Amino acid sequence: MEKKRSRMDIISDILVIIREKGGDIKPTHLMYKANLSHSQMKIYLDKLIKKRLLKKESSGGSNKIIITKKGKEFSVKYLQMKEFENTFGL
Amino acid sequence: MKFVLTPDWFLGKDILIEAFSFIVLFALSFICIKNYKLNKSKKCLYLGTGFILITMAQLATIATKLVLYYDIGPSQQIGSVIIAYQLVKSVDIFYYMGFFFHKLLTLIGFYIIYRLPIEKKSLEDFFLTLYFIVIFSILSIGINYLFYVTSLVLLLLITKNYLSVYRKNKSQNTKILITVFALLSLSNVIFILSKVSTMYILANIIGLISYIILLILVIRISKYGKKTKQDGYNIRHTCDN
Repeated sequence: MEKKRSRMDIISDILVIIREKGGDIKPTHLMYKANLSHSQMKIYLDKLIKKRLLKKESSGGSNKIIITKKGKEFSVKYLQMKEFENTFGL
Repeated sequence: MKFVLTPDWFLGKDILIEAFSFIVLFALSFICIKNYKLNKSKKCLYLGTGFILITMAQLATIATKLVLYYDIGPSQQIGSVIIAYQLVKSVDIFYYMGFFFHKLLTLIGFYIIYRLPIEKKSLEDFFLTLYFIVIFSILSIGINYLFYVTSLVLLLLITKNYLSVYRKNKSQNTKILITVFALLSLSNVIFILSKVSTMYILANIIGLISYIILLILVIRISKYGKKTKQDGYNIRHTCDN
């Protein structure tokens, strides 16, 4: 069994998933891909939108979660930091 | 007294190798500090400190060799004035200090990197080892191979530590890191045996190769995370929340 994800790991996963989808994703897809419950996802999304790492857009009755430039930069920095820690066993 | 073992035709080229390693070490130190700012992890800070000390050690040897080889600074003064005994003495002290700091900072840097995985860190142990490192660095000025033997021991211990890390994470980057420290250990073995100038040059070249590999590692870490797999890829299928 894999180790429980930290809050930061979940945030990083959310950002990576959206980047992998080309920068935007439907909330339901994000929920499945990030392995989160509806309530968990709501908490994380609110937090990330507040921090301006993500933004919500509605068009034609459907919602989309979009990653911002700040969100992309944060995601890259975090992944690099994790890789560095993993390389050196920190 | 002979300050450097470099053969005449290799003079200057060794400075280029050291300048290259300085740049690579500086880049790695920069990444360590950048990561420390992000995660405030003490281990990141210690690793950064270790690499910064080795970077400064490289700078000390580059500065000393530049003065020694190209007659700048204190040596130029000798040419412009009547060579007085006291002045020659002060130039000697400059070289001694330069190479002493190179050895001291390198050994402390390696020691800090070696100590990183040790969970229980005793301050007494640290200062005792620091004391021995200072003694070894002073003695190394006269007995050059003592420095290479001490750094070889530390490098082998660091390599062993990273082998344990690799057994856990199976990371390609850790494998590269092991190669770097193994090659640095090998170059130190050759330095110990370098009574012959060709051996000295070989040791320098192996050192250069290890820093080139370290640069590849720095680039790999810096590029990590910039590209993502597009669509249809769930990064964590099996994890718990």
